[in-house]
Amino acid sequence: MTGILNGVLDGIRVLELGNQISAPFCSKLLADYGADVIKVEPPDVGEETRRMGPFVGNDPHMDKSIPFLYLNTNKRGVTLNFGTSTGMKVLTRLIVRADILIQNFTPSASAKLGLAFPLLNKLNPKLIVTSITSFGQTGPYRDLAATDIVTYALSGLMYHSGDSDREPLRNALNQSFYVAGVNGAVATTAALFQHLSTGTGQHVDVSTMECLASHLVQAIPYYNYMGATKGRRPVRGAGFEELMPAKDGYVIPSVQGSQPWSTVADLIGLEELQCDRFATGSGRIEHGQELNDLLIKGLAQWNRKALFQASGERRLVFGMAQDAGDLYQCPHLRERGFLTEVTHPVAGTADYPGMGPKLSEMAYKVRRPAPLLGQHNTEIFCDELGYSREDLAQLRALGVI
Amino acid sequence: MSSLPLSGIRVLDLSRVFAMPFCGAYLADLGAEVIKIDTHHTEFVDTTRTLNGPYPDNEPGEDYYNRAGTFQTLNRGKLSLTLDLRSSAALDVLKRLIGVSDIVLENFTPRVMRRFGLDYANLKSHRPDLIMVSNTGYGHSGPWSDFGAMATALEPTHGTGAFMGYLEQNAEGRLVPGSIPNKIANSYTDFLASWTAQLAVLASLFHRARTGQGMWIDMAMYQVGVSFIGEGLLDYAFNGHRTRRLGNRHESMSPHGCYPCRGTDEWVVIAVRDDVEWHSFCEVIQQPELAKDSRFADPITRHQNQDELDTIIRLWTSEQSSHHVMDLLQNRGVPTGPVLNAKQMLSDPHLRSRGYFEPVYHPDKSDLGRREYVGRGWKLSDAEIRIRKSAPLLGADNHYVLSQMLGMGQSDIEELLSVNAIGQTLSGAVTPTSVPLDRQAELGWIVEYDPEYKQFLADVENRDSCQESR
Repeated sequence: MTGILNGVLDGIRVLELGNQISAPFCSKLLADYGADVIKVEPPDVGEETRRMGPFVGNDPHMDKSIPFLYLNTNKRGVTLNFGTSTGMKVLTRLIVRADILIQNFTPSASAKLGLAFPLLNKLNPKLIVTSITSFGQTGPYRDLAATDIVTYALSGLMYHSGDSDREPLRNALNQSFYVAGVNGAVATTAALFQHLSTGTGQHVDVSTMECLASHLVQAIPYYNYMGATKGRRPVRGAGFEELMPAKDGYVIPSVQGSQPWSTVADLIGLEELQCDRFATGSGRIEHGQELNDLLIKGLAQWNRKALFQASGERRLVFGMAQDAGDLYQCPHLRERGFLTEVTHPVAGTADYPGMGPKLSEMAYKVRRPAPLLGQHNTEIFCDELGYSREDLAQLRALGVI
Repeated sequence: MSSLPLSGIRVLDLSRVFAMPFCGAYLADLGAEVIKIDTHHTEFVDTTRTLNGPYPDNEPGEDYYNRAGTFQTLNRGKLSLTLDLRSSAALDVLKRLIGVSDIVLENFTPRVMRRFGLDYANLKSHRPDLIMVSNTGYGHSGPWSDFGAMATALEPTHGTGAFMGYLEQNAEGRLVPGSIPNKIANSYTDFLASWTAQLAVLASLFHRARTGQGMWIDMAMYQVGVSFIGEGLLDYAFNGHRTRRLGNRHESMSPHGCYPCRGTDEWVVIAVRDDVEWHSFCEVIQQPELAKDSRFADPITRHQNQDELDTIIRLWTSEQSSHHVMDLLQNRGVPTGPVLNAKQMLSDPHLRSRGYFEPVYHPDKSDLGRREYVGRGWKLSDAEIRIRKSAPLLGADNHYVLSQMLGMGQSDIEELLSVNAIGQTLSGAVTPTSVPLDRQAELGWIVEYDPEYKQFLADVENRDSCQESR
């Protein structure tokens, strides 16, 4: 590797302001690629996620929030109340030396905090400012109140989640904000690449609603090509390729791919399945109930993982329902180095999930666990910005840090 | 306004179906020249050209492989070069093209790429600074790396189903966390892979600009999916918790759920974050006494008594339209929103005002006219990112790519034609039979069919023009 120490975004300075998931996940991704991320939190109470469970050992301590621990690895942390003019002066000094600022305050909160883009641009014309909000910087929904489920519903994606014979279903673990965060990272990196040619900063406006809506690549043309409204999945058991019970959990048998039905029937091992009736897609629909009953009978002899392994070896594309324990212990993920041991001074040690992709020129590293509150105040304010230790004590007494 | 971020970048998109093609589409939106490596042989053609539809007015037509709506969405902005990779001449063309391209996207199995001599190690020797994304179900290493995968089976495997599912009734008739996994819409994993690949490609472009180095990006969709639910794994590591299926409820907020409204399949979601919002909520539904009801007055008992509370709320919402509930509650700052379907999305005032759906004018041959497509979730102030052209007709750019990019002469191009390595008509094409839409509604494949959809969309377009001319 030629001169790149930490990773692809080595030397890129990111300031993170905001709460909860979308901005922290966005800057976590940039940190994973090697950027130097400074997370700015309110003094004394810290960022809101510190109060979100689940907690390690069910102890609601500000350094034991599991979402916080996951979202904030590889970042340094400072405290700062930039609602005061003194605090704003300190923030300005951070802004002036940053390449990127990620924030997820609402447009009106952002303006009140003195973080409107024109102001930031004046302080640092090279700065890329990424604002992640529920609905974007403009438009009639701009100032609406939203949480994960509300954004998910308004994005059009929730309509297609869950079963067709009942209410739509919320997503898993606040996915709306994760989708917004990764899209924010995409747009920020596009701006960073553009910056190499232009030298100027810009405002990146991320709308969570629109990020999720972009998943609707079937539902939208279904309506505007032919006036049809696609819905949610038909109730379980109405066809092949749904969750089916095996001995110790659910599997998803599938016939997609190049293998013929006989391979599937052969794998499951029930003779009655080796039947021409089931050999075609239309046949499986026509004889759906019979197929369903036979599958339940055949799969009852199988443990999930053994069936999944056997299907993979035969180049079939079965799936299996896995839970957090299965994933944490997954031999495939472990072999690929996806989990890394991380020791946090308060929360303790665990293996943390890492990056999605594997990159040839950069090894994923957890350089540091999630920061304690204000852990890097001295390092950043004194060693890097030049405040004296006495200045720091005074800022602390004033409640600025 | 500067030129586009990826002006001058060339992408070879060898991928198929959803995940990587959509990544290629976004790179095209960002200004890259993206060449879709198509084929005019039915056995190997991208199935989104032929299988998913939807077709205009549900009529595929003879030229159906140029008229499928999902394909059009996933491949907008690209050029199309057909290459039959079984032909060594075509394979040579591909290798030459890779030599003059910056990025390759592919989702073949590791075996196939090696067989063609297109694995990264091989390509790197021709083009040292190549950026290549290889997207597969389980990646290029690890005990499952030869396993095939498909999005619907993949999502439960990467565990989202452990953290979503309907509540169930226990023996006492109370609703408790559920045992049955569920999923996020259709092929959620494909989109996670798409966003992840876009980030990896852009970061690699930045890296290459600073160092001259290329990058191989080995993406296992399974691993990508798990990286989005990392919190769940840590809850197991620290606390031994394996699942968390709360239906539409929340760990701490209440009320929090999805409630039925007037109409067919109409729903509203409501999330009350604190006691102030709880009081506002009770006033809005004109039951102020609920606020002080001992079952609901404090957040802990309120959370414990959601079964009763949800019943009360359902009675009220069932009488309202979902948009009206949103207006009433948002006026008081309470997070609320209707569960919008595609028709409602296309006419949503916020999305219209944001210009989220982008119009595309199609070539006459496909007879698609003007259609709108999903844009993207972000805007750059310094670059006007938008869909720049429709998805390509099959092989439309064969001549341009071969002659302009590779400098091939007419006789060489004709040679490729003569061995059927390139072409513009799908050979062996059989126009799919379409099931009538009212029958599809009967079968439950669609919820409903709106025969007035064209008028509806025309009215939406008219309203936009009126807004603009103000």
